[in-house]
Amino acid sequence: MQERLDALLTSARAELAAAADDAALEQWRVTHLGRRSELTGLLRSVGSLPREERREAGQAANAARRELEEALETRQTELRRGADGAQVDVTMPGYPVRLGSLHPLTRTLREIRRVLAPLGFRAVSGPEVEWDRYNFELLNIPADHPARDMWDTFHIDDKARPGELLLRTHTSPVQARVMEQIQPPVRVIVPGKVYRYEDRDASHEAEFMQVEGLAIDKHITMADLRGTLTYFVRAMFGPDRELRIRSSYFPFTEPSAEAEMSCHACNGDGCPVCGGTGWIEILGSGMVHPKVLADVGYDPDVYQGFAFGMGVERIAMLKYGVTDIRSFYRNDLRFLRQLR
Amino acid sequence: MRVPFEWLCELTGIEASVDDVATRLTNAGFEVGAIHRAGEHWDRIVVGEVVRIDPHPNADRLNLPTVNTGSEEIQVVCGAWNFEAGDRIAFAPAGARLWDPYADEPVLKELKPTRIRGVVSRGMLCSTKELGISDDHEGILVLDSDAPLGQPLAEALGGEVLEFELKANRPDALSVLGIAREAAALYGTQVSSPIPDHRAGEHGPSQPVQLQIDDPALCARYSAALVHEVKVGESPAWIRDRLEQAGVRPISTIVDATNYVMLELGQPLHAFDWDTVRGGFIGVRTPRPGERLVTLDGQDRELTPETLCIVDAEGPVALAGVMGGLDTEVTDTTSSVLLESATFDPVSIRRTAHRLNLRSEASRRFEKGLPPELTVLALRRCVQLIEEIGAGRGEFLTADAYPEPSDPAAVSLAFDRIERLMGVAYDRGEVRQALNSLEFGLDEDGDELCVTPPFWRRDVTAPADVVEEVARLVGYERIPDTLPTGQVMDLAPGEIDERDDEARDVMAGLGFAECVTYALTSEARMARLVPPDLLDASPDTPLGDADAWAAVHESAMDDAGRALADRLLPLDREPLRLRNPLSMEENVLRLTGLGTMLETLRANRRHADRDLLLFDYQPSFLARDGDLPEEPNFLTAVIGERVSAGRWNETGTVELPFVRGVVDELLSRSGVPADETSHDDLQHPTFAAGAAAAVTHRGNLLAAYGEVDAEVAAAFDLDERSWALLVDMPAVREASAGPPSFSAWSEYPSALRDLAIVVDAEVTQADVYDAILRAGRPLLQSARLFDEYRGEQIPAGKRSLAYALSYAAPDRTLTDKQADRAHNRVVRALQHRLGAELRG
Ligand SMILES: [Zn+2]
Repeated sequence: MQERLDALLTSARAELAAAADDAALEQWRVTHLGRRSELTGLLRSVGSLPREERREAGQAANAARRELEEALETRQTELRRGADGAQVDVTMPGYPVRLGSLHPLTRTLREIRRVLAPLGFRAVSGPEVEWDRYNFELLNIPADHPARDMWDTFHIDDKARPGELLLRTHTSPVQARVMEQIQPPVRVIVPGKVYRYEDRDASHEAEFMQVEGLAIDKHITMADLRGTLTYFVRAMFGPDRELRIRSSYFPFTEPSAEAEMSCHACNGDGCPVCGGTGWIEILGSGMVHPKVLADVGYDPDVYQGFAFGMGVERIAMLKYGVTDIRSFYRNDLRFLRQLR
Repeated sequence: MRVPFEWLCELTGIEASVDDVATRLTNAGFEVGAIHRAGEHWDRIVVGEVVRIDPHPNADRLNLPTVNTGSEEIQVVCGAWNFEAGDRIAFAPAGARLWDPYADEPVLKELKPTRIRGVVSRGMLCSTKELGISDDHEGILVLDSDAPLGQPLAEALGGEVLEFELKANRPDALSVLGIAREAAALYGTQVSSPIPDHRAGEHGPSQPVQLQIDDPALCARYSAALVHEVKVGESPAWIRDRLEQAGVRPISTIVDATNYVMLELGQPLHAFDWDTVRGGFIGVRTPRPGERLVTLDGQDRELTPETLCIVDAEGPVALAGVMGGLDTEVTDTTSSVLLESATFDPVSIRRTAHRLNLRSEASRRFEKGLPPELTVLALRRCVQLIEEIGAGRGEFLTADAYPEPSDPAAVSLAFDRIERLMGVAYDRGEVRQALNSLEFGLDEDGDELCVTPPFWRRDVTAPADVVEEVARLVGYERIPDTLPTGQVMDLAPGEIDERDDEARDVMAGLGFAECVTYALTSEARMARLVPPDLLDASPDTPLGDADAWAAVHESAMDDAGRALADRLLPLDREPLRLRNPLSMEENVLRLTGLGTMLETLRANRRHADRDLLLFDYQPSFLARDGDLPEEPNFLTAVIGERVSAGRWNETGTVELPFVRGVVDELLSRSGVPADETSHDDLQHPTFAAGAAAAVTHRGNLLAAYGEVDAEVAAAFDLDERSWALLVDMPAVREASAGPPSFSAWSEYPSALRDLAIVVDAEVTQADVYDAILRAGRPLLQSARLFDEYRGEQIPAGKRSLAYALSYAAPDRTLTDKQADRAHNRVVRALQHRLGAELRG
């Protein structure tokens, strides 16, 4: 049996190699795999063999059949590729595909939200045109306080209530809005557009995006703030990032801290991205000022917590290597398509 | 604020490097923004002596000094005359680098030997500007006569200056002493106070000075000291050097002494020429009607009622804390001086300084709130300094008005409050050490700590303030990383709608690039959205007036257009206007993003000829009376004429159905049922006539789309047909039926039938489609339009529409006969209801 199969395979392979077109292949298939083929006959005859030989013979015949079927398929493919006498050039570009893109700021904002969501932060928004009360007063920045110099403000020309409407200078007013409406625990982030009365240049915008973070409960500490920020910079810029914080001042936090991360471009060795220092200022933060808590009706002896704020463009610039903040607002398709 | 490093070291005894001091102060909250190193570039500049001065043979205005550098004598050509033989000067030999005094930007230039009017100059006598010390280019710098000959100038003069970026909460840090206290606390050294002890009765009040404070709320304390035998002249070099390094221009002995003390202690002082003050009287009050003052800058000012003034017996002599008066100014002939040292109300000073645009080193300090205790200390120091430099003989305190003395309040807190806030333990020894080093008074009662801030730390009023002092003195390195634990919060008000993300994703999936545009715009930019002749606009009212708009509403819009103009494109609304715009190009908040988006389309058209599909999803600002404006998130999309289609270079032309495909997908993905919306003709001047549609849901406008009017496109400099889509996303949310719900389809094979009919051109597709659906019930599963034709093969005034219809039953396979019967019912209904004819 095995001898007959071997002979059959040898001749079938030779004939297949000689088959040059579809008709010849079909002829070959009928001869070697068809109902009347020798192989089919052999398979049928297995049943008449002695019981102890049947198993082995059946396997061998079936293996031969599979081999011939595969050989046929391979030969078909070979022939088809050679059709028209030319191969398909797989280096041809694909046909144009119209897939759009999300703005890099949208992508960065989503990433920030995604990173902080597992820590329980919900994203909320608030108005861009604000009352002075929310933008300043409820954040412990009374009228005529020198701290107001920290925010150059666009004022709305409003005859009915002069001096009260403005373009928010930070997303922090939403802190007060959220706390006024719900009792702790509070854990929110606030992405959104903010405005500064400031001439534009490569590193300054009059309109830009911020993300604010706020966590209030009975036992939230400065160590929790530091841990959250470390978690954040590592999730955004890689597990090797180190965080350091130093004392700072914001009217609505006490203590306040400026946070820096080790440079992701040079790993802290110093490079143009970090101005040679190995560290990059990334956000401002602190423990929410007791006055701010009291003004929204929280008992500052019971509740405490942290707040932080960062510029989204700055995060995006670091992530994507953008050097001019104004590029985000020019909406040049070449820029948008690169950073999609 | 600029602090010369050697000054800081003198007060603290710190021996660490300038970089170390800068780092530690920065970490403790006193951010050093820059370290200026005077003399960094003075590599070859030395102290030289002018040996003799010869005349220049060819130029009267030049001279030829010969300079001894300690090792050789060099002759140079010089154009300045403010020195004599024997003077020590800063000498730069050829090869040294100097700042170019004539360049706009700071540029260092290497000095080369040059021939000037026939004589070779092999070096230069330097001015302070060329050295980079100050902007003064008048004459060359003459050094003290004891400056060592040949010494590198950097050693003789140079030094580092720390530039602090100070925060609003620490008025005490606006002084060298204040910084010194912090530095000493960090390094564990003692501050040596420059303030002399009180000297009782030494001179005694020579003349009575009568003080009067009208309102202690506006002036908590006013202290004064008289100085006699005044000699106004140039201050000694060490004072001038420190002033210059700190960025204050030296003027004359008395003024320099007051400025020096302000820099050192943080208390601004003012000197009056006492002989010009009338009646031996000084008062602090707001002006009476009609009172005026000529200030030091020569301006004759009418005084508004809220301007706090210093007055003599007859009227105002100074704007308190902001600027002195011209009549009482100290001059070369002044013989006695009254030094003023006062505590003014920060808010009053800030308002006056802002209103008059006269912000100064002094007003900046008053604005932050100075402690009343400081006034007498500053006077003592100033009088002592004046005597030390031989500029007069004075009294430490001549008169003092302090109507309502107050001390800083003590703050009590439990020791464990620190750990509770910081999340890390501090032992009591550390806490005491930190607070003691900052000169806080401590009183302990078991676990309670009672902290009395020193008089200069009135910013410390609450437990959290004390915690911060301890934490920053010990260092934030102590703080570990932990993550917040506890309950999850309730749903927050104003929570961001995930569907906003989805709308962006849908648009991106449909080929649009998301743009983020400015909210600030100009009326002119929005006015370009209407053909110019329509509004009869003027530069003052670029968006036209009410009358013009009434006419536009009447003549250039249908109902759909008016609905569009009401909200989604509300160009006749009054926009929110900025009181202080950066420019007239961005003086209002936008009513629509379409103008900006058409500009963006144009900008991208410059480098792309196809696939210009852009969208913006940011708020517009619609004013509301007595409330914050509404800020609806409108979606604005713009599309260029050609889009890729098929093989590499094949393109299709955008037509109305292309935009409708986008709208339908967006609405459908937003949960708006297609059979509840209606697309109707839209007439609005922004859109081309007959090529625009409005989408409504139960009568509410959801979206408008169409070809941009040719004149409008031209106003935006667009050179091809362009399309726009405006979607009122908040209205879309309202119309949403929520998440999609499943409906089963027939598992039996469908019977397919094509249908081509000819109808009058006025019959809309929607009419035909509705008739098909209604007549095909219940077996008709779907009807898909696959062609429209108008032209020669059918009569004029007619159109042909072709549909693929699919019939199926839920419980059986339809026979051909059953399918034909259903299809014929559809055909008859079309013939009967719409006068349709089957197309052969
Ligand atoms: Zn780096």
